[in-house]
Amino acid sequence: MVERSGYPAVIAEVEVLTPTLRKFVIAAQGTRFPAVSAGSHVVLGFGDASRRYKNAYSVVSATPDGRELSVIVRRAPQSRGGSVFLHDQAQDGTPVTVLSSANLFPVVKTARRHLMLSAGVGITPFLAHARALEAEGADYTLHHFCRPEEKPAFEALLATLPPGRIFIHDRPPEDAGMKERMAAEGIATHLYFCGPEGFMGWVEQAADALGFVAAKVHSEHFFVPEGGRPFTAVLARSGERIEVAGDETLLEALERSGVDAPCMCRGGACGACALEVLDGVPEHRDHVLSEQEKAEGRTILTCVSRARTDTLTLNL
Amino acid sequence: MTVQTSARESYHPPYQVTNSAETIMRFPFPFPEDTYMYSMNVEPHVRSGPVAAMHHTFDIDEHYVAECAEKARILEQDPKRCIVLPHMREAEWDFVEFAMTCLSEQYPQHFSLRREGQDWHWVNRLLGYEQSFVFGDATTLPLPPFEYMARQMQGDFTLHDQREDDLWMDGGMVTSQADWSLKFDLGMSFRQWHAPVPKAAEMGVFDRGLRFLLMLQPGKPVRRLNWTMTINPRLDTSPENFMVWGPDRASVTPENVADKVHLRVELQTLYRMPRSNAILFSIRCYLMPVRDIMRVSKWRRRLHRVLRDLDPALSSYKGLDLYRQTVVDFLAPYDDGAPLSSGIQPDADQPESVLASVA
Repeated sequence: MVERSGYPAVIAEVEVLTPTLRKFVIAAQGTRFPAVSAGSHVVLGFGDASRRYKNAYSVVSATPDGRELSVIVRRAPQSRGGSVFLHDQAQDGTPVTVLSSANLFPVVKTARRHLMLSAGVGITPFLAHARALEAEGADYTLHHFCRPEEKPAFEALLATLPPGRIFIHDRPPEDAGMKERMAAEGIATHLYFCGPEGFMGWVEQAADALGFVAAKVHSEHFFVPEGGRPFTAVLARSGERIEVAGDETLLEALERSGVDAPCMCRGGACGACALEVLDGVPEHRDHVLSEQEKAEGRTILTCVSRARTDTLTLNL
Repeated sequence: MTVQTSARESYHPPYQVTNSAETIMRFPFPFPEDTYMYSMNVEPHVRSGPVAAMHHTFDIDEHYVAECAEKARILEQDPKRCIVLPHMREAEWDFVEFAMTCLSEQYPQHFSLRREGQDWHWVNRLLGYEQSFVFGDATTLPLPPFEYMARQMQGDFTLHDQREDDLWMDGGMVTSQADWSLKFDLGMSFRQWHAPVPKAAEMGVFDRGLRFLLMLQPGKPVRRLNWTMTINPRLDTSPENFMVWGPDRASVTPENVADKVHLRVELQTLYRMPRSNAILFSIRCYLMPVRDIMRVSKWRRRLHRVLRDLDPALSSYKGLDLYRQTVVDFLAPYDDGAPLSSGIQPDADQPESVLASVA
């Protein structure tokens, strides 16, 4: 798949929400952005002469005329540097390219009611969903969980939505009585959640224990690919050897070498980048492959996963 | 492509449809090889390809006005050929924006669109329509948004909601179909509406197809060709009207086969809609009589081989059993068995004259 050149844009506004969260308004230069559905992410290309990044972020809002869209980025110092670049160096006028968009976390349009749970930066897809559901007159409730010192920032972020639909908790879901609230939901309610791994695990267990059927439980594991031990990717068809540095992903290394590798979400969530492994042992970090597939080690999602062995031979 | 601006043609009795040399050469002949079996024959819908029918997002050809008139006639008789479920409202506007944008950019001589914020102005010079409206406000259009626009385009369209890792046929306008019904399939899942198709499910074609489509991205449409055969240039071969057209299948004789039997090709294109996350499925139908296919030597020889060796289950599913042998017998003398290039391109610049034209 040939990557389009994307939509050229600049950062038009930077808003500091909390010490670790910033909102970036991105303005189209020339061609309008296409419309995006609530729950979509965009892949942004940015960086400087020494390093280019391609990171996926949920779109929290977009203007109907296609001139602007906004994302919220959490500073993740242990990651490969994209978020640190945006936090420390991006300012008004910094060029950004909107490379692609996709929606891996839509709401179920036929659902009678939507219950949305988020923690930390996991709020981002729900900012778009809550506004869209509000505009439609749909039945929904959003519970957001954060640290006490962050509460005012999230209150400000959600201020335009009706207070009866939005609950912001500065305690963990267990202490906030979330399980009891979930138990009180009717059978037609669809449950959506997004947040850090510990939070995700809690909601998954609670939903399971309360008997929510899988078809009505929807989650998005937001996920910043992290670095790790360097290794060598060997392309079986060409024999080419590509060094994957500790602070880049396998996908980035393939792209840097001019390999036309498939990809979509860049966060281990969609499975579009799956490649066959012919030799070596993958270190799986995705949310797509089944436990059995991970144990077999024949497939790797290049956007997040790495190698346990010094080399990894790919059917490419 | 020159477009006729009046509907002199007729897609119902008394039939009157003729194809110019240009239309014959741009026909999306569906067989890249000498044999046919189901496959995942999906490729990116880029604005290029082996035949000119593939060179636009939505292909407009010389039959545009007549096909739109036929569509209006069928909708008048049977308004339920257009149904859109309420949760597809955003997808309707996605369709309006996408169709108007593509047509006005790719055929500026026929269509134009002016956008000032949400105030839009649309001109369709071929049908003589001019409409100012507020994008997103259905009360400013004379018809519901999807119906308004789908009536101004050749071919059928369906809208698919994505949920539960599946695609659901939750809307559409279907007036030129190969024996399937929107009324019957409405609300069905991907595997449900494909259930009548033989063999393909056990080949895994639908599982792979669905997985692929669930990941379809905005701005990266795909296409495939599908085919069957139709007696007479009849666009509307619907189950609703089977009693009208079904008996035609028994009317084929060695004398009338070249004019009666048409290869029916669907250029199917699929798009992820940006606002609604729905998938738009466009089914653009081309009807080409055997007489016109005869005029491309590669195509007449390949059609003979494909029909001769077709799997009986596919022949039966496509409804060809009553006349397939008659077509094969007619084509056989024109096939010397020589090897043909792979791919669908005609390997010629102009149609030949093979058969004397009918009086």
